[in-house]
Amino acid sequence: MTEVTTGSGAAIQVEGLRYSYGDLEAVKGIDFEVQPGQILGFLGPNGAGKSTTIKMLTGQLTPKAGVARVLGIDVATDNPELQARIGVCFEEKNLYINMSARENLEFFASLYGIKDADAEGVLRRVGLADRAKDRVKTFSKGMRQRMMISRAFINKPDVLFLDEPTDGLDPVTSAAIRRTIREEAERGAAVLLTTHDMFEADELSDRVAFINEGEIVALDSAENLKLKYGTRSVKVRLRDGDGVREEILPLDGDGSSSRLAELAASPDLMTIHTEEATLEQIFIQLTGRGLEG
Amino acid sequence: MSLSRIWKVLRKDLALGPRSPIFLWAIVLPVALTVILQVAFGSLFDPEPRLGIVDEGDSAITAGVEDMEGIELTMLDDEAELKRQVEANDLDAGLILPEGFDEAVKGGEKPVLQFFIGGESYASNRIILTVTTLDLVRELEGSEAPVMVDIVDFGEAGLPISIRLIPVIVFYALVIAGLFVPGSNIVEEKEQGTLTAILVTPVKSAEVLAAKWLFGVILASVMGVASLAMNGAMGSNWAEVVLVVVIAAMLSAMLGVVVGVFAKDSAMMFGIVKGAGIFLFAPAVFYIFPDWPQWIAKLFPLYWIIEPIWQVSVMGESVTTVWSELAVALGITAALGVLAWWLAKRMQAQMAGQ
Repeated sequence: MTEVTTGSGAAIQVEGLRYSYGDLEAVKGIDFEVQPGQILGFLGPNGAGKSTTIKMLTGQLTPKAGVARVLGIDVATDNPELQARIGVCFEEKNLYINMSARENLEFFASLYGIKDADAEGVLRRVGLADRAKDRVKTFSKGMRQRMMISRAFINKPDVLFLDEPTDGLDPVTSAAIRRTIREEAERGAAVLLTTHDMFEADELSDRVAFINEGEIVALDSAENLKLKYGTRSVKVRLRDGDGVREEILPLDGDGSSSRLAELAASPDLMTIHTEEATLEQIFIQLTGRGLEG
Repeated sequence: MSLSRIWKVLRKDLALGPRSPIFLWAIVLPVALTVILQVAFGSLFDPEPRLGIVDEGDSAITAGVEDMEGIELTMLDDEAELKRQVEANDLDAGLILPEGFDEAVKGGEKPVLQFFIGGESYASNRIILTVTTLDLVRELEGSEAPVMVDIVDFGEAGLPISIRLIPVIVFYALVIAGLFVPGSNIVEEKEQGTLTAILVTPVKSAEVLAAKWLFGVILASVMGVASLAMNGAMGSNWAEVVLVVVIAAMLSAMLGVVVGVFAKDSAMMFGIVKGAGIFLFAPAVFYIFPDWPQWIAKLFPLYWIIEPIWQVSVMGESVTTVWSELAVALGITAALGVLAWWLAKRMQAQMAGQ
């Protein structure tokens, strides 16, 4: 066994990780850590290197350079002990569609050596208990995604890799899935979550890594990123004849406080809202491109 | 490699099998092929002649019919029932042997023998039953046949076409069940991404392939034996027949695993099988056309599995007479196993790179 005790106690520890598909360098030497119970959001557009990183960390791809340890085990060693302690939710809905929901979970539980898996309990967590006996091919896209999440939880993993877990889902299903992810982190699982949804990253992640063209361009909590890169401002809405006029005042700029006081005293004042930069604005600021690219 | 994990994947495949069209096709096709070919060339639906006897005196003729193969004998207690069954075409013919019949024949009395023929019976069955009865009576009398029959063979010498088609049917059973089922199963798991999902659990790719191979071996063995049984070719030593079929299934299933691992998708897999179809089926054709130079068949890899089946099941030879063919078949299987293992590494990288 290639178990290495990491001084930091990190569940995931990555140093100088690289991968290339032929001449295309997909991941260019990234470094990060995820502690137990922590959710790290990997935020970046399609093709940024998020999925390739997950594939290396889950043993699907062998890193070309650098070191990645999950639970202290080098991912390049193809160690079944590591696979037994991780859970993976793929972007692709790769379920056995001719098997029922319960059969899917029981089969995967058996691969982890789990006897008498609580498939019903896991399905209940994702709101699919009443469909346990139905074949997955009869499920909607949202139900299949909830199945994907439940499968990733079936072995009570110490580390969860979630690749775009709410991509394309309705807000209600997305909220349910996010709630379940949070519960897993509260249980103590380290979660690596890839997404190009800034709201999801903001809401779920303890820390956010901006990844672009195979490089991590920023890594911190969402709050700190906003404080560091964003601009605080106030949006003031005023009546203007029959219409409405908006004025945005930077809080950190010279002279903005006197203008704010002036507007606040105006009889046309309707509302005043403080505003902070979104993660997407910061991402654009740092990379020059949007998250949907 | 964990036998427990192999069994778990195999158990899943066996459970899911009946839900797969290709699995069902593998089961139905050999049966359908047997029926079609036997109707066209064989004797599947030719009924055996059915003879009913009312024996009032423990005649030696009854014992003679009982000893014969190929005649379905029904013993009845009374003449009325015999006539009723002949009339209803439940029997082709009926024979009443009165008490003292044998003694009367032996004494040269020429007693009357009542022989009823069913109006709807096949002419061939009537002839067989009539001639058989006359032969048995003559034997009872102790007289020789009044003429010597000179038998001259016409047409092609050798086995009938219905027998020579058996390798084709067994081949279909082995190739569809052994090659197609595990091959398409692997490709389907790749296309649906379920193989990727399995490979991020503690299961290794070699364990998955071992399970797929065993799945093919089990199905091909069952269908191979079933095809031989349906065609009446299990021979007297069924254990040896099963052995050669299992070895054939091992090679066929390993070929299926190699094709499944190599093919990126279903279209590619079916393209490979279609392209290699002649190469695969060529050895079976040599059994239909025995005049062709038989050494050519040895150039094809699947000859080494069909020849042992032919010799042991159809020709009734011992397995020891085909040990060299079986050794070659096992050697090819092992070589294909190494190839599958090597291709599996490439496949895993390809899947992750998609």
